[in-house]
Amino acid sequence: MAQKSQAQLKAENPIHIMPRSTQSTEANKTGSWRYLRPRYEEKTAPCSAACPAGEDIGKIEMLTAQGLFKEAWETILRENPFPGVCGRVCFHPCEGACNRREFDDPIAIHSLERFLADTAERDDLKPLIERLPSRPEKVAIAGAGPSGLAAAWFLTQLGYACDVFEASAEAGGILRWGIPLYRLPLNALRREIAQIEAQGVRILTGKPVTTDLLTDLKSGYQAIYLACGHGRTTELCIPGESLAGVQDGLAFLSKVRAGDTPACQGTSAIIGGGNTAVDVARSIVRLGGRAVILYRRRRQDMPAFGDEVQMALDEGVELVELVAPAQIESADGRCRVVLRAMKVAGEDGSRARVEPDGDKTSEVIVDRLFKATGAEAAEGWYNPPALASSILTLSHCTLEKKNGGPVKIYGGDVTNDIKSVVHAVASGKQAAMALDMLFREGPDAILPKLDGCTVGNGPSLSMEIYMGGERRLRNPHVVSYSEINADYFRYSPRMSQPRLVREERVRSFAEIDLRVSGNIAMREAERCFNCGLCNQCDNCHLFCPDISVIHDQSAQGRHINYDYCKGCGLCVVECPRNAMTLEEEIR
Amino acid sequence: MKQVLEGSQAVAEAVRLARVQVVSAYPITPQTHIVETLSDYCATGKMNAKFLRVESEHSCMAALIGAQSAGVRTFTATSGQGLALMHELLHWASGARLPIVMAEVNRALAPGWNIWVDQTDSLAQRDTGWIQFYCEDSQEVIDTTLLAYKLAESVALPVMVVLDAFFLSHTYEPVDVPEQEEADRFLPPYEARFELDPKNPCTFGPLVPPAVYMEMRHDMAAAMDTALANFAQIEDDYERIFGRRYGAVEAIACDDAEIVFVTSGTITSTARLVLQNLRSRGEKLGILKIKLFRPFPVEEIRKALKGAKKIAVIDRNFSFGASGIFAQEVRAALCNAPVHAPVFGYIAGIGGRDVTPEVLEEIYWKTKNSAAPERESVWIGLQEVRHGN
Repeated sequence: MAQKSQAQLKAENPIHIMPRSTQSTEANKTGSWRYLRPRYEEKTAPCSAACPAGEDIGKIEMLTAQGLFKEAWETILRENPFPGVCGRVCFHPCEGACNRREFDDPIAIHSLERFLADTAERDDLKPLIERLPSRPEKVAIAGAGPSGLAAAWFLTQLGYACDVFEASAEAGGILRWGIPLYRLPLNALRREIAQIEAQGVRILTGKPVTTDLLTDLKSGYQAIYLACGHGRTTELCIPGESLAGVQDGLAFLSKVRAGDTPACQGTSAIIGGGNTAVDVARSIVRLGGRAVILYRRRRQDMPAFGDEVQMALDEGVELVELVAPAQIESADGRCRVVLRAMKVAGEDGSRARVEPDGDKTSEVIVDRLFKATGAEAAEGWYNPPALASSILTLSHCTLEKKNGGPVKIYGGDVTNDIKSVVHAVASGKQAAMALDMLFREGPDAILPKLDGCTVGNGPSLSMEIYMGGERRLRNPHVVSYSEINADYFRYSPRMSQPRLVREERVRSFAEIDLRVSGNIAMREAERCFNCGLCNQCDNCHLFCPDISVIHDQSAQGRHINYDYCKGCGLCVVECPRNAMTLEEEIR
Repeated sequence: MKQVLEGSQAVAEAVRLARVQVVSAYPITPQTHIVETLSDYCATGKMNAKFLRVESEHSCMAALIGAQSAGVRTFTATSGQGLALMHELLHWASGARLPIVMAEVNRALAPGWNIWVDQTDSLAQRDTGWIQFYCEDSQEVIDTTLLAYKLAESVALPVMVVLDAFFLSHTYEPVDVPEQEEADRFLPPYEARFELDPKNPCTFGPLVPPAVYMEMRHDMAAAMDTALANFAQIEDDYERIFGRRYGAVEAIACDDAEIVFVTSGTITSTARLVLQNLRSRGEKLGILKIKLFRPFPVEEIRKALKGAKKIAVIDRNFSFGASGIFAQEVRAALCNAPVHAPVFGYIAGIGGRDVTPEVLEEIYWKTKNSAAPERESVWIGLQEVRHGN
């Protein structure tokens, strides 16, 4: 051959190309080979199941990443009327459940929540919230704290007229009178309360919840929601407790929030390890005093948020661990506190169980002493009654139905094991749902309906599901990290929250956490795996070897052509966020 | 411009000059420096190409089959086990008539685990329908890689450019690197004869019945023959621009030679030195370097070996149960020639062992002093090895 010219060879040997066929093979419905069947099925993100308010966090971050801030903000409002508050003061159990923590760091969910609230404030956004037709029943709400206000918000969505009765001069409860301004500025709170009022909720201040008031309410309302909170500090039950220098931590915070500047010079001791203790100590530092926290367990056992404790220590607050006050004595106008030494005797859940370490004691002399060991209802009857046939105890509230007179339903701190703002919101939501079911379908309908509205396996509830929104279509299965296709995600550090420096913090009550830019928020939101949710990445379409993922005009944007889908499962494996399911084909 | 380059870098320079659009590879020693350089070129924009990381050589070749089918020029590099893993898709690439170019750095197959030079990996792929070139030095590597694209595209068959592990892939030599403008003049942009087009859907690589399959294979056989003729013309074009040509084979002092070494790869360079030494002592040695192994240039080999009294084929490879593979091929090429010299088969340098001038001289004297070839291959330099328990 080598001797032949190329021209000759070309004529003899035309160059051929890849074998191919243009004959249609559509008649061969290869879908009949399938024994596994993929389908689109959104599931539940662990963050949303961990959020007591059941916020649709995966979707919120998806919208945020797309720059749809108003829609993201409204998605929060559907489940929680307090994004600006909770973005600041919530202990964010969502972040502890975030699947991304197993990859690099959890999403800064609380910072994004606050960002969305800030954006709504800056742009003066008005939410577009779905509302059911008006109902004839009216609901009275006792207490304008987070639980009462949340109940009013959700009841309004369900079509009920609500009046909120509040003892103090301004609504907000613990948010207004208990949490210091450096954690929650007044504007942020007032804006969200005004938003609730804008929905038609009436808030009547200066109306203490008394037995007389309850009697008055009987005529005009079909239900009363009692959310009076834990407003009174618990007694220490030790000698000397009522001496002049011994003060109530909550009352102190309330005075500061009312604009007073109580004297704080010298050394103040605070007894307790919760957020109130830390808030009191840090407020004292800001008022020019020295603060020492006396706690009966260890630092890691404190119920106060770890970040708050760390900042308190940075600001100069001292912490004495494993001491319990045994006696308080007057000493030249000061307080001598006798402290019993404690020792760790074991584990009690996640924190230490302590007992006295023999007879060892010590003492400190301070200028004043604050009690902040816990709180309880100011009146005994604020608490739900003991078990009876007329009582329905739910996870976050208790319903009392007696013949004649309005239904009473108790919620907030008086029914919640964990006394947090977001649990108070959860109470308000559950109470609203329970009352609605009671009015519409009677008491027996409440439990089955609530069971159908849980996020994941509960106990968090979703108002969107209750009202028949798209979220009800999701599988309650909570997506685990192993179900995420992590190959599709890059390592990227969690955003760092900009903060005032320590020197600036201790000089005033200015808010510590600063605003973040839209850029930073979008980048952080992009880190979200959106566990279980479809974000239209189109991997299923790209990877389908049978061209059986077909784009269409549906909400999903695509469907599977089962005539030709062989059930290889590639789409399901390549779905980065487990928004698809592969099941055995039933024939 | 002359640059001091490794054989590996010479490959990468040629790939850059060929304006390859898709590079895919799975890492394996000793080809590593090739794709390392190319990934850098892709990342820095020195090449306008997509670098596809894949999870295996099998996927790598599959990716290139896809890319080349979509109408772009492609490249990969591999060695040893990596090439073996590609085997199925090597058939696919040639059967689909895709002019993919690959650099294959010869590496011994495991076990025993060995990263050094041995030609058995590439020669084991001789029946896959790939054109194969064996290179002697870095200049030949860069030139052959550019030639490979033009040849591959002229006949719609893939090409393997083979180079010795370390002795060539990792040795620095001065290399004349063509200018881009000159390379463009030699190698115009790739024009696919067929490319995937969603507007004209078709099944590619469908079932082909007995009524057509045989003709399809015959077409491939004819394309291999065409490649042999085209190679000479493509070398003419290359020589006009760059002043260098290699030939499918190179006959060195064969005209009056009594014994001719048949060599490939870097052993040829050593043989050139031995030839000078022996010639200076009056020994009439010649060398036939085989550069093009598929298609096998039978006529040129017959012509070059016509005058030889004895032929000594030096194989850095072995076909178990048979012999050295080049020896088989040379015997097959000669057996139907009217007269031909006896073919002596030697196995040397397996698994990266040095083939020194002394080794080659030993082969020369063994050949000269033997009346006729032994029935079996002669393994040079075997040592006593004590086996453990």
